[in-house]
Amino acid sequence: MSDEEHHFESKADAGASKTYPQQAGTIRKNGYIVIKNRACKVVEVSTSKTGKHGHAKCHFVGIDIFNGKKLEDIVPSSHNCDVPHVNRTDYQLIDISEDGFVSLLTENGNTKDDLKLPTDDTLLTQIKDGFC
Amino acid sequence: MQGRPSDLAHLQSTMHAFELACNSIQMHVNPAAAEATILSLGQSPRPYQACQFILENSLVANARFQAAAAIRDAAIREWGFLAADDRRSLISFCLRFVMQHACSPEGYVQAKVSSVAAQLMKRGWLDFTAAEKEEFFHQVKQAILGIHGVDVQFTGINFLESLVSEFSPSTSTVMGLPREFHEQCRSSLELDYLKTFYCWAQDAALSVTNRIIESDSAVPEVRVCTAALRLKLQILNWDFRDNTNAAGGVRSSINVFSAGVRHDNDSFKRSECILVKPGASWRDVLISSGHIGWLLSVYGALRQKFSCEGFWLDCPIAVSARKLIVQFCSLTGTIFPSDEGQTQEHHLLQLLSGIIPWIDPPDAISKAIENGKSESEMLDGCRALLSIATVTTPFVFDKLLKSIRPFGTVSLLSNLMCEVVRNLMANYTEEETWSWVARDILLDTWTALLVPVGAIGGNALLPPEGINAATSLFALIVEAELKAASASAFNDESDSDYLHASISAMDERLSSYALIARAAIDFTIPFLTRLFSERFARLHQVRGITDPTETLEELYSLLLITGHVLADEGEGETPSVPRAIQSYFVDSLEADKHPIVVLSGSILRFVEQSLDPEMRASVFSPRLMEAVIWFLARWSCTYVLPTETSNGNNCYSGHDDEHQLDSHHSSKDFLSFFGEYNQGKLMLNIIVRISMMTLISYPGEKYLQVLTCYQLLPALVRRKTICVHLVALDSWRDLANAFANERTLFSLNSAHQRSLAQTLVLSATGLRNLEASNQYVRNLMGQMTAYLVEICSKNDLKNVSQQPDVILSVSCLLERLRGAASASEPRTQKAIYEMGFAVLNSLLILLEVYKHEFSVVYLLLKFVADWVDGQIVYLEAPETAVVVNFCMHLLQLYSSHNIGKISLSSSSSLLSEANTEKYKDLRALLQLLRNLCSKDLVDFSLGEAADTNMSQVIYFGLHIVTPLISSDLLKYPKLCHDYFSLLSHMLEIYPEMVAQLNSEAFAHILRTLDFGIHHQDTEVVDMCLRALKALASYHYKETLAGKVGLGLHAAGCTDPDGKFQEGILSQFLHSLLQLLLFEDYSTDLVSAAADALLPLILCEQGLYQKLGNELIERQANPTLRSRLANALRSLTSSNQLSSTLDRMNYQRFRKNLHNFLIEVRGFLRTV
Repeated sequence: MSDEEHHFESKADAGASKTYPQQAGTIRKNGYIVIKNRACKVVEVSTSKTGKHGHAKCHFVGIDIFNGKKLEDIVPSSHNCDVPHVNRTDYQLIDISEDGFVSLLTENGNTKDDLKLPTDDTLLTQIKDGFC
Repeated sequence: MQGRPSDLAHLQSTMHAFELACNSIQMHVNPAAAEATILSLGQSPRPYQACQFILENSLVANARFQAAAAIRDAAIREWGFLAADDRRSLISFCLRFVMQHACSPEGYVQAKVSSVAAQLMKRGWLDFTAAEKEEFFHQVKQAILGIHGVDVQFTGINFLESLVSEFSPSTSTVMGLPREFHEQCRSSLELDYLKTFYCWAQDAALSVTNRIIESDSAVPEVRVCTAALRLKLQILNWDFRDNTNAAGGVRSSINVFSAGVRHDNDSFKRSECILVKPGASWRDVLISSGHIGWLLSVYGALRQKFSCEGFWLDCPIAVSARKLIVQFCSLTGTIFPSDEGQTQEHHLLQLLSGIIPWIDPPDAISKAIENGKSESEMLDGCRALLSIATVTTPFVFDKLLKSIRPFGTVSLLSNLMCEVVRNLMANYTEEETWSWVARDILLDTWTALLVPVGAIGGNALLPPEGINAATSLFALIVEAELKAASASAFNDESDSDYLHASISAMDERLSSYALIARAAIDFTIPFLTRLFSERFARLHQVRGITDPTETLEELYSLLLITGHVLADEGEGETPSVPRAIQSYFVDSLEADKHPIVVLSGSILRFVEQSLDPEMRASVFSPRLMEAVIWFLARWSCTYVLPTETSNGNNCYSGHDDEHQLDSHHSSKDFLSFFGEYNQGKLMLNIIVRISMMTLISYPGEKYLQVLTCYQLLPALVRRKTICVHLVALDSWRDLANAFANERTLFSLNSAHQRSLAQTLVLSATGLRNLEASNQYVRNLMGQMTAYLVEICSKNDLKNVSQQPDVILSVSCLLERLRGAASASEPRTQKAIYEMGFAVLNSLLILLEVYKHEFSVVYLLLKFVADWVDGQIVYLEAPETAVVVNFCMHLLQLYSSHNIGKISLSSSSSLLSEANTEKYKDLRALLQLLRNLCSKDLVDFSLGEAADTNMSQVIYFGLHIVTPLISSDLLKYPKLCHDYFSLLSHMLEIYPEMVAQLNSEAFAHILRTLDFGIHHQDTEVVDMCLRALKALASYHYKETLAGKVGLGLHAAGCTDPDGKFQEGILSQFLHSLLQLLLFEDYSTDLVSAAADALLPLILCEQGLYQKLGNELIERQANPTLRSRLANALRSLTSSNQLSSTLDRMNYQRFRKNLHNFLIEVRGFLRTV
């Protein structure tokens, strides 16, 4: 998977928008947000002000949902932020092949065979045990 | 300890091993093994000879220390079966040891041994005869009087210090004995010994004073004197109880209450000042003996010596003397004869004249401190003033100083405080300096003066001179606050945590300022009005030309101060107009010229300008609006549309009635200005407009909106009189309309929308009748339920639902519904039930669609929990059935999504987030179940059928929830608490349902119970024990009646390998006995454990006999064995214990178990 796929630049392609504008002040921890063109899960929100009598700003710390990198952003809380449209798909596990790839059942009845088992050991055993 | 040579050799080798261990622990060489060696000495049977040998012969100080600790551990454990002689000899050994080694340089060993002596003394206190105690104390007395020299004298005093702290319940050490024991020791010491100890300390101090005063450098006697002063201070800190002069029998019961009252007073903010009430019997020692004079003269002499070597302002003896003097200032109660306070006044005057040089003249003192003098004497002087203010009335307080100075004490207090405030102004820093501390103590002093104990909210009256003092002080305080405000206007680096702490500290401070301001109300109100108008004018002048920030910050402070002066914090009640303001009488009789009206009016007119967009942009910064909203919330509670009773009843709550008649008139006049027939509705309208504006025109200003949604609006709907007018206002209708039909308010934080929904629904109580109220709620929420239903009926819901905007609106809708649900009241219950009923199906659809969207699922569960909570008590049987069925479906669906779910994430922080989410969900589920449970607590009208229905759903719920609860999740204290309270409730009410559970669920519940019994939280253990009691007693009663009871679960079974598995009751009997006999637990749990143990024993008599016999056989020592056998016998036979499960029998068994544990735990735990 190359990184470019997940960028949200305004390419001139038609179709539904991949993001939705939402007021920064209403974005909460555990929500999603686009920071520096990356889709992130928000892990920390704090607010501050520009001077005592200024307006509020939101400080977001997000974790890129694809590569786990930490990103930060500061936005005036009355401004809008882009919120990504995050899709998730469930597959049923139908086989684990010997070379470490898994075979998954998609919703329309096909199989998806291009995913590897995770490298994390505990997770690996959990999946293997669960499958047996 | 003369033994045979072989003994001696053995002792030597023990000592060497012990010393080696002590050394290696200090050097960190193999600490675990060393620790085991050290502990083993204390745990071995009768280690006294070895310990004493080590104490006397070892050269390693640390080894001596540990040996003393070992004596303590072993003796406390074995006390029950030590011979009387042994007990005494242990104590006298310790005492002899400390006296003999009085000049040893290792102070900590000495302190340890004397505390061991004190603990053993206390352990045997109730067994020793008076003569035996006398013998010990004779020795101590000799020492304290100085017969054996200064060092022994010091040691003797030190021993008494340990003893007193051991007998004082708050500092006593644990001995594994019931609380009554400590209580008996405490009262015995207080009645028979405390005063004697005090006199000894006094004698010891007297005997060395001359030497100290004569010499110009530190002498060894100083140490003795310091210790004596410390002991006296400690004795005066004693929590005296037996001090009323009421006669005999009634006494103790009265004192229980008076002790409670006193505690309340202490917790009332003035934590620093503890009243000393030793009672009449102490009069001769403390008052009439010239004791105070002596103390003051000693300190006076010390003050002369501060320039000498070895003495300085903070040297221990000076500190102790000052502390004692301050302590004497808070002496009160029956120790003073009933002569209208003359003796007490004389006593305080004497003290005050000794203290005056510490604080007067204030400017010179402050200057000296700035030049490097220690501030501790000045602070102690302030503390003394606080103590005096606490025990006197303002009049007496002020009068005290007049006999020695041309001004009163209040003037001195005011001058001192002014000096402190000036110092604060001059050196404005964020750090805590002496002037901060002094200011806080002095503010407490004002509070103590102005809020006399017992009269809540009322201001005590100051003498005229005192009012002048308060006037000038308040003016200076405001000046200082404004200066600080404008100076800090441009700092913004302060981080939010610090800010919050300082806000609550500031709140406390402002309340004290308000008391001072109200004491000088004639001056304060016009003064504040003037300050406001100056700033308003300045804003208008500079608008658009220069930066107004400094003025804004000043206004911010002024609004906070004025809010505190004008109104009290309601804390959920409707605060009445402060008494000082009620009695604020002015010549002008026209209501609109009353200073309070003028001040409030000018603020309100200013604030109203925020509705103008241009003014808002240039003047009303978010921070200023925060102060505005806060002020409006506080002020409107008291003043807007006042209830008729508020000026009638509350006036008479105070003591002094002379001002009552005129004040009544005056307050009525100006209050009517804010009333229904004058400006009240107009003001209310403005307030609602402003609050709506903050929600719409300050997007993203969270804190401002928090204030509007959680303080101002809820304060308005709390009173029904206001609601009646609110629902008739155009502005309120606009707000409701915007909420129900427009998109704008969807951009608020969703939690704020919830609170807004709640507020709006609550305002429906102001409508004429039931039908109108319900219709109001329907109009308000109808759109939302319709929208939710509409979303759920979409064909492409599965795709659409994942779009962020849809998620956002669904969350907002759920929050709004939840807000409305939590506002359930009898008047609107019907409409809210319909609201929930309309979306039941949609909720199930949403739960399915959003199964991966934690935040939505959580909101959904919370809504259902709150809705059930608000509705369940009102519902009839058919409606209940609907709700119960729905909950069943919800639970099934939730569990089908969540059992066995594994979170796969590359980031550990996301993983832990997932855990937290799960925890929150489960808590919401448990709350839902508990809310369902509450039906069977309030409603007995349901038929048998409905009842079982309810228990079924809850058991089904438990079935579903328990597999989700893992031991990891039970580490969250709140969840753990909720879970076990639900469990114990269920087992107590429906034990018959347990038997029907399938074996897997049953086993899981029992596993968690077993986990809970070993939990550290006593409350959790208590709940588990209650559950166990319910389970066992149910089985016992059922089997007696010839039924199966728990049936197979209790009988035990043979598992596939042919091994016999015990029934569950046997298992619990096992583990409960194990816990009681061998593990650590709080003694508070013994009663609960007894309640669980009794039915278990009755159910499993055979096993109990077997376990008892095993215990006895394991005991090698024949004396102990017979003791254990006897104890076990009397556990089940004494006190006419029978085999029924009634109240009496439970009580008897509790007593038996207590005695049993005291008897045997000591030796059982060592084996």
